[in-house]
Amino acid sequence: MKNNIRIERAIKNITQAELAEQIGVSRQTINTIESNKYVPSTVLALKIARVFNKPLEEIFILEEGD
Amino acid sequence: MKPQFLFAYWFRYLGWGLVIAHIPIAMLGRMNGMINPLDNLPGNTSLFTGEHLFFIGTTLLMSLGLFFVAFAREKIEDEQIWHIRLDCLRAAIFINYLVLIISLVFVNDTAHILELNLWAPLIFFIIRFRWVIFRLNRSLSREK
Repeated sequence: MKNNIRIERAIKNITQAELAEQIGVSRQTINTIESNKYVPSTVLALKIARVFNKPLEEIFILEEGD
Repeated sequence: MKPQFLFAYWFRYLGWGLVIAHIPIAMLGRMNGMINPLDNLPGNTSLFTGEHLFFIGTTLLMSLGLFFVAFAREKIEDEQIWHIRLDCLRAAIFINYLVLIISLVFVNDTAHILELNLWAPLIFFIIRFRWVIFRLNRSLSREK
Protein backbone atom coordinates (compact mmCIF):
# COMPACT_ATOMS: atom_id res chain seq x y z
CA MET A 1 0.00 0.00 0.00
CA LYS A 2 1.35 3.41 -1.02
CA ASN A 3 0.54 6.70 0.59
CA ASN A 4 0.72 10.42 -0.09
CA ILE A 5 1.43 11.55 3.45
CA ARG A 6 4.71 13.26 2.52
CA ILE A 7 2.99 15.26 -0.22
CA GLU A 8 0.02 16.12 1.97
CA ARG A 9 2.38 17.25 4.71
CA ALA A 10 4.20 19.48 2.27
CA ILE A 11 0.88 21.01 1.13
CA LYS A 12 -0.23 21.59 4.70
CA ASN A 13 3.32 22.62 5.66
CA ILE A 14 3.62 20.49 8.76
CA THR A 15 6.53 18.37 9.96
CA GLN A 16 6.49 14.68 10.84
CA ALA A 17 6.74 15.62 14.51
CA GLU A 18 3.73 17.95 14.28
CA LEU A 19 1.63 15.33 12.50
CA ALA A 20 2.72 12.71 15.06
CA GLU A 21 1.68 14.98 17.91
CA GLN A 22 -1.71 15.69 16.36
CA ILE A 23 -2.62 12.02 16.10
CA GLY A 24 -0.85 10.85 19.25
CA VAL A 25 1.87 8.59 17.86
CA SER A 26 5.66 8.79 17.75
CA ARG A 27 7.62 10.46 14.95
CA GLN A 28 9.15 7.07 14.17
CA THR A 29 5.71 5.72 13.34
CA ILE A 30 4.95 8.55 10.89
CA ASN A 31 8.37 8.06 9.32
CA THR A 32 7.90 4.31 8.81
CA ILE A 33 4.39 4.83 7.40
CA GLU A 34 5.69 7.46 4.96
CA SER A 35 8.44 5.15 3.77
CA ASN A 36 5.94 2.29 3.36
CA LYS A 37 7.65 0.14 5.98
CA TYR A 38 4.61 0.01 8.24
CA VAL A 39 0.94 -0.26 7.34
CA PRO A 40 -1.18 1.63 9.89
CA SER A 41 -4.38 0.30 11.43
CA THR A 42 -7.72 1.58 10.14
CA VAL A 43 -8.09 3.85 13.17
CA LEU A 44 -4.69 5.47 12.63
CA ALA A 45 -5.26 5.79 8.87
CA LEU A 46 -8.59 7.53 9.52
CA LYS A 47 -6.93 9.90 12.01
CA ILE A 48 -4.27 10.81 9.42
CA ALA A 49 -6.93 11.40 6.77
CA ARG A 50 -8.85 13.62 9.17
CA VAL A 51 -5.78 15.81 9.78
CA PHE A 52 -5.47 16.42 6.04
CA ASN A 53 -9.23 16.77 5.68
CA LYS A 54 -9.33 14.31 2.79
CA PRO A 55 -10.99 10.93 2.15
CA LEU A 56 -8.90 7.89 3.10
CA GLU A 57 -8.52 6.73 -0.51
CA GLU A 58 -6.77 9.96 -1.47
CA ILE A 59 -4.06 9.36 1.10
CA PHE A 60 -3.67 5.58 1.06
CA ILE A 61 -3.62 3.79 -2.29
CA LEU A 62 -3.78 0.03 -2.75
CA GLU A 63 -1.13 -1.48 -5.01
CA GLU A 64 -1.30 -4.46 -7.40
CA GLY A 65 -0.06 -7.08 -4.96
CA ASP A 66 -2.28 -6.01 -2.02
CA MET B 1 -5.72 0.64 20.43
CA LYS B 2 -4.83 1.10 24.08
CA PRO B 3 -1.96 -1.10 25.24
CA GLN B 4 -2.90 -3.08 28.34
CA PHE B 5 -0.91 -4.95 30.96
CA LEU B 6 2.18 -2.74 30.72
CA PHE B 7 4.07 -1.12 33.57
CA ALA B 8 4.81 2.59 33.74
CA TYR B 9 7.89 3.88 31.90
CA TRP B 10 9.98 4.21 35.09
CA PHE B 11 9.66 0.48 35.80
CA ARG B 12 12.38 0.02 33.19
CA TYR B 13 14.92 1.70 35.48
CA LEU B 14 13.60 -0.19 38.51
CA GLY B 15 14.00 -3.40 36.49
CA TRP B 16 17.62 -2.68 35.54
CA GLY B 17 18.26 -1.75 39.18
CA LEU B 18 16.95 -5.13 40.35
CA VAL B 19 18.98 -7.00 37.73
CA ILE B 20 22.16 -5.13 38.70
CA ALA B 21 21.43 -5.54 42.44
CA HIS B 22 21.03 -9.28 41.93
CA ILE B 23 24.65 -9.70 40.71
CA PRO B 24 26.58 -8.74 43.90
CA ILE B 25 24.00 -10.47 46.12
CA ALA B 26 24.29 -13.70 44.13
CA MET B 27 28.10 -13.48 44.07
CA LEU B 28 28.36 -12.77 47.81
CA GLY B 29 25.91 -15.57 48.58
CA ARG B 30 27.81 -18.06 46.52
CA MET B 31 31.12 -16.99 48.05
CA ASN B 32 29.61 -17.60 51.49
CA GLY B 33 28.67 -21.11 50.53
CA MET B 34 25.05 -20.48 49.58
CA ILE B 35 25.11 -22.59 46.47
CA ASN B 36 22.23 -22.73 44.09
CA PRO B 37 19.89 -25.40 45.49
CA LEU B 38 19.09 -26.50 41.96
CA ASP B 39 22.61 -27.99 41.93
CA ASN B 40 21.66 -30.67 44.44
CA LEU B 41 17.94 -30.84 43.82
CA PRO B 42 16.75 -34.42 44.37
CA GLY B 43 18.60 -34.66 47.70
CA ASN B 44 17.21 -31.67 49.57
CA THR B 45 13.61 -30.77 48.84
CA SER B 46 12.67 -29.06 52.11
CA LEU B 47 11.23 -25.56 51.80
CA PHE B 48 12.49 -22.26 53.27
CA THR B 49 15.95 -23.47 54.20
CA GLY B 50 18.75 -20.89 53.98
CA GLU B 51 19.66 -22.05 50.50
CA HIS B 52 16.07 -22.04 49.37
CA LEU B 53 15.49 -18.51 50.67
CA PHE B 54 18.69 -17.34 49.00
CA PHE B 55 17.56 -18.93 45.75
CA ILE B 56 14.12 -17.31 46.01
CA GLY B 57 15.71 -13.91 46.75
CA THR B 58 18.22 -13.87 43.92
CA THR B 59 16.00 -15.56 41.33
CA LEU B 60 13.08 -13.31 42.17
CA LEU B 61 15.26 -10.18 41.91
CA MET B 62 16.61 -11.23 38.52
CA SER B 63 13.30 -12.46 37.07
CA LEU B 64 11.27 -9.54 38.38
CA GLY B 65 13.91 -7.10 37.08
CA LEU B 66 13.87 -8.62 33.60
CA PHE B 67 10.06 -8.74 33.68
CA PHE B 68 9.85 -5.02 34.51
CA VAL B 69 12.39 -4.13 31.80
CA ALA B 70 10.56 -6.20 29.20
CA PHE B 71 7.07 -4.96 29.96
CA ALA B 72 7.62 -1.31 30.85
CA ARG B 73 5.82 1.15 28.60
CA GLU B 74 7.82 3.14 26.05
CA LYS B 75 7.68 6.95 26.28
CA ILE B 76 5.18 6.95 23.41
CA GLU B 77 3.55 3.54 23.29
CA ASP B 78 1.71 3.62 19.96
CA GLU B 79 0.40 0.87 17.72
CA GLN B 80 3.71 0.37 15.91
CA ILE B 81 5.54 -0.23 19.21
CA TRP B 82 2.76 -2.61 20.19
CA HIS B 83 3.20 -4.41 16.87
CA ILE B 84 7.00 -4.63 17.37
CA ARG B 85 6.44 -5.85 20.93
CA LEU B 86 4.23 -8.71 19.78
CA ASP B 87 6.60 -9.62 16.97
CA CYS B 88 9.59 -9.72 19.34
CA LEU B 89 7.62 -11.78 21.86
CA ARG B 90 6.77 -14.28 19.14
CA ALA B 91 10.44 -14.47 18.10
CA ALA B 92 11.59 -14.84 21.72
CA ILE B 93 9.19 -17.74 22.40
CA PHE B 94 10.25 -19.35 19.12
CA ILE B 95 14.00 -19.10 19.93
CA ASN B 96 13.39 -20.18 23.52
CA TYR B 97 11.66 -23.37 22.46
CA LEU B 98 14.39 -24.06 19.90
CA VAL B 99 17.02 -23.72 22.67
CA LEU B 100 14.85 -25.80 25.03
CA ILE B 101 14.45 -28.63 22.53
CA ILE B 102 18.17 -28.62 21.64
CA SER B 103 19.22 -28.56 25.31
CA LEU B 104 16.72 -31.30 26.26
CA VAL B 105 18.21 -33.52 23.56
CA PHE B 106 21.90 -32.76 24.12
CA VAL B 107 22.16 -31.81 27.83
CA ASN B 108 21.35 -34.13 30.71
CA ASP B 109 20.81 -31.45 33.36
CA THR B 110 17.10 -30.71 33.67
CA ALA B 111 17.50 -28.41 36.69
CA HIS B 112 19.73 -25.97 34.84
CA ILE B 113 17.63 -26.21 31.68
CA LEU B 114 14.62 -25.14 33.74
CA GLU B 115 16.60 -22.32 35.33
CA LEU B 116 17.72 -21.15 31.89
CA ASN B 117 14.12 -21.19 30.70
CA LEU B 118 13.09 -18.88 33.49
CA TRP B 119 15.15 -16.03 32.01
CA ALA B 120 15.81 -16.94 28.40
CA PRO B 121 12.49 -15.77 26.84
CA LEU B 122 12.69 -12.42 28.62
CA ILE B 123 16.35 -11.91 27.66
CA PHE B 124 15.70 -12.83 24.01
CA PHE B 125 12.69 -10.52 23.99
CA ILE B 126 14.55 -7.56 25.53
CA ILE B 127 17.54 -7.90 23.18
CA ARG B 128 15.40 -8.11 20.04
CA PHE B 129 12.94 -5.41 21.11
CA ARG B 130 15.70 -2.91 22.03
CA TRP B 131 17.53 -3.73 18.80
CA VAL B 132 14.45 -3.05 16.64
CA ILE B 133 13.77 0.23 18.50
CA PHE B 134 17.43 1.21 18.10
CA ARG B 135 17.26 0.56 14.34
CA LEU B 136 14.03 2.54 14.11
CA ASN B 137 15.61 5.52 15.88
CA ARG B 138 18.78 5.27 13.80
CA SER B 139 16.83 5.33 10.53
CA LEU B 140 15.00 8.40 11.81
CA SER B 141 18.19 10.28 12.71
CA ARG B 142 19.67 9.38 9.31
CA GLU B 143 16.71 11.07 7.62
CA LYS B 144 17.08 14.32 9.56
